[in-house]
Amino acid sequence: MPSGESDAQSQPGASSVRYEETTKQYPGASAPAVDELTLEVPAGEICVLVGPSGCGKTTAMRMVNRTVEITSGDVLIGDHSVRDREPAQLRREIGYVIQQIGLFPHRTITENIGAVPQLLGWDKQRIRERSAELLELIGLDPELGDRYPAQLSGGQQQRVGVARALAADPLVMLMDEPFGAIDPINRERLQNEFLRLQAEIRKTVLFVTHDIDEAIKMGDRIAVMREGGRVEQYATPAELLMAPANEFVEDFVGADRALKRLALMRVGDINLWEAPLAYVGQATAEVRKKLAAPDVEIPYPLLVDSERRPLGWLSERDLGADTVPQRPDSPLGPVLERDDVMRDALADLLQGESQYAPVVDHEGRITGVLSVEIISEFLASPEAKSDEHPAVERPHG
Amino acid sequence: MASPLLLTAAAEVGGDFFRERSSGTLPCQAQSSHLFCWDWAKENIDRYGTPTVQHLEIVLLSVVIGFVVAFGLALFAHRRRQLQPPLLAATGILYTIPSIAFFFLLLPITGFGRDTAIIVLAAYTLQIIYRNTILGLANVPASVKDAARGMGLTNRQILWQVELPLAIPEIIAGLRVAVVSTIAIATLVVFINAGGLGTQIYGSGNLTFPTSIVIAMAIVMGMALLFDLVLLTLQRLTTPWRRVRQA
Amino acid sequence: MTTLPFASFTGAFEFIFAPQDSNVTGGNQVGGFEKSLELVLKHLEVTVIALAIALIVALPLGLYLGHRGRGELFAVGIGTAGRAIPELAVIALVAVLIGVGLKTVAPALAILGLAPILVNTYVGVRQVDSATVEAARGMGMSELDIMRKVELPLAIPTVMGGVRGAAIVIVATATIAPLAGVETLGDFIINRNVYGENGLLAGAILVALLALTLEGSLALLQRRLTSDGLKLKTV
Repeated sequence: MPSGESDAQSQPGASSVRYEETTKQYPGASAPAVDELTLEVPAGEICVLVGPSGCGKTTAMRMVNRTVEITSGDVLIGDHSVRDREPAQLRREIGYVIQQIGLFPHRTITENIGAVPQLLGWDKQRIRERSAELLELIGLDPELGDRYPAQLSGGQQQRVGVARALAADPLVMLMDEPFGAIDPINRERLQNEFLRLQAEIRKTVLFVTHDIDEAIKMGDRIAVMREGGRVEQYATPAELLMAPANEFVEDFVGADRALKRLALMRVGDINLWEAPLAYVGQATAEVRKKLAAPDVEIPYPLLVDSERRPLGWLSERDLGADTVPQRPDSPLGPVLERDDVMRDALADLLQGESQYAPVVDHEGRITGVLSVEIISEFLASPEAKSDEHPAVERPHG
Repeated sequence: MASPLLLTAAAEVGGDFFRERSSGTLPCQAQSSHLFCWDWAKENIDRYGTPTVQHLEIVLLSVVIGFVVAFGLALFAHRRRQLQPPLLAATGILYTIPSIAFFFLLLPITGFGRDTAIIVLAAYTLQIIYRNTILGLANVPASVKDAARGMGLTNRQILWQVELPLAIPEIIAGLRVAVVSTIAIATLVVFINAGGLGTQIYGSGNLTFPTSIVIAMAIVMGMALLFDLVLLTLQRLTTPWRRVRQA
Repeated sequence: MTTLPFASFTGAFEFIFAPQDSNVTGGNQVGGFEKSLELVLKHLEVTVIALAIALIVALPLGLYLGHRGRGELFAVGIGTAGRAIPELAVIALVAVLIGVGLKTVAPALAILGLAPILVNTYVGVRQVDSATVEAARGMGMSELDIMRKVELPLAIPTVMGGVRGAAIVIVATATIAPLAGVETLGDFIINRNVYGENGLLAGAILVALLALTLEGSLALLQRRLTSDGLKLKTV
């Protein structure tokens, strides 16, 4: 039963999901859409079903909430078969997020989020509080609660879609290409935010996608499927990349496996270089002294404010004055955070004009500098080849 | 060729009839008089009271009955696709048959009077209301229905809480057409002795005179416009989400 | 509610096919197949003429307005106003003010048919995919060509819907045209003292059949005129 407690953090509001020889055969079709699928998703993990179009991944996901009926076999949530309940009742305890979002155009955002709680008979006050709480959790201004979906952008709408699915604190979440209809920039943001959210709430999530990169980024476990819902490999992202089970998986994962592994790492996992820091108003002579030091790794000074927040890179011309100027010559370029996924960081670096990117902590303070060189050095090092390097495992929390 | 003879004969008789009854506003009531006499209008405006009320009663009853039947049919046919074409055809036939003929087709069954009028007028509204309701329901985005179903709404809840509210604009659009058309057509019920504003255009077997006709026409069209605006306002009030600016 | 003891459907059918004795015209016979056919044709005649006039006026106007995208309020207003016009009043005014006969009645009927054709043509043209029109323009088609060869064919289903609507109104109003001196099937209905109750019913049946046949023919015509590509689109 849904916990209903407003504290979303500590409650173990998640169940495992188990497929037991689950089959879906459409009448008149030559082969089953899903053929005796057997899979277990541990509670609190994101399991990604990935595969080419038509492989049955969406059908398999939909059998959990019976929006597609099971022909034979069973699906269990926790220890209960999904066939024991009335479909409508069952679905109210399962979060459901679809690609086209499907918010009710005629209801406000708050009403949309509160849809399932309303079905479950919560009182109005409780629904309102829960909606407000969720709006905050997904990073939207609580004022948006009174607006209609048409007034929100696609990215905002899908966030509401996720909030709506979480409203009644479901045991399981089903997500069918949830970010597929969003533009690439916002998609990345939404993915990151969902991962952050998941770190807090730890729901059991069945996530369907056709994009192997998304699968690697999002999944704790990945099931690579082919036609008939046949699972070719069910493993963690690292295993998938380092030891693909067969040619199909290898082809599907792609030839750029090494590059893909970068998706598993975070910026903070490797040793960063340091840049000599310069403060506004500091005498340039001091800065020059730092630059001249023998062990300096980066030949350019980084201008920071009193809080050690990066403002820009200083050039020779800047250093011509007596004191460090307020505005640097070169712009900052991309600024990375320690939690950023390494692959995205590499992409930012390659696109930016500067070859160095400052890395900051949660408060925006400088903690080091990343460059393409650093990354390639690391990949070549013996540490990167070992399985147990923390950068290769997915960090939790 | 009986008609033109009868017509001129009627005109003369009618002329005499009015001549006797009038109070000196003779030119106004002759059939070939000019378009509009304000004097006559001011003096005789109350004679339009009862016909207008009769007219409205018939219209409202017809539209309400027509709506209930057509709406019910649409809900019934909503999830039963095979039924939709035959229902569309059946309501279409009722729409195509000219009302005046329809009145008399029912003569052996229900005779003269209001009942026949209401049956025919209600039948006339069926197609537009049925078709618009079906259309409105069909235009609900599939993703919204998918999400609703996946969240755990039952079919009935989806229909009443999601599909119908979203179909309101189309349904009311159909209702507006039905109401406006029925108000105009109800002038014909005079032919089966059901009263209405038609009596001021073709009273007791003769055409009346321009001023009377024009006033009746103005009242009919005025009512139609009024109801149209009222329904439009109703539609705007019940669909606040359509008034907002899109992101 | 008074039911007529004299009128019945069998009586009506008899009336249509064989002349009957009449009460009023002193022993002359009324009804019969020839007479019925004559009136059917007359009814059809005035309908077709009025429909043609309405088409000639409203179709190009609707096409032009729709093509330019102007006058939406006008079109919508005309649509509502057109529906609100009581046909009886139009016929009556024509009869008492202007004059009787085909020359005055046909245009009056045409006016009633203007609104459906105008509105539907406008809407039909506006609904044509602007990408298609842009492509045509880019290929070098003149504006006139675009209207004739691109927009009109694509708008046919909606336009024909308007024509059918106009036909229904015109056929219905032609039924009361005898009030303005034009002899149609409405004669049987309006002058029931001459034709009797059976004549009345016969007139009603014939009008209904005529209306349904005309509607059916126009539906077939619509099918014919709709290009095969359009037919593939779901409703």
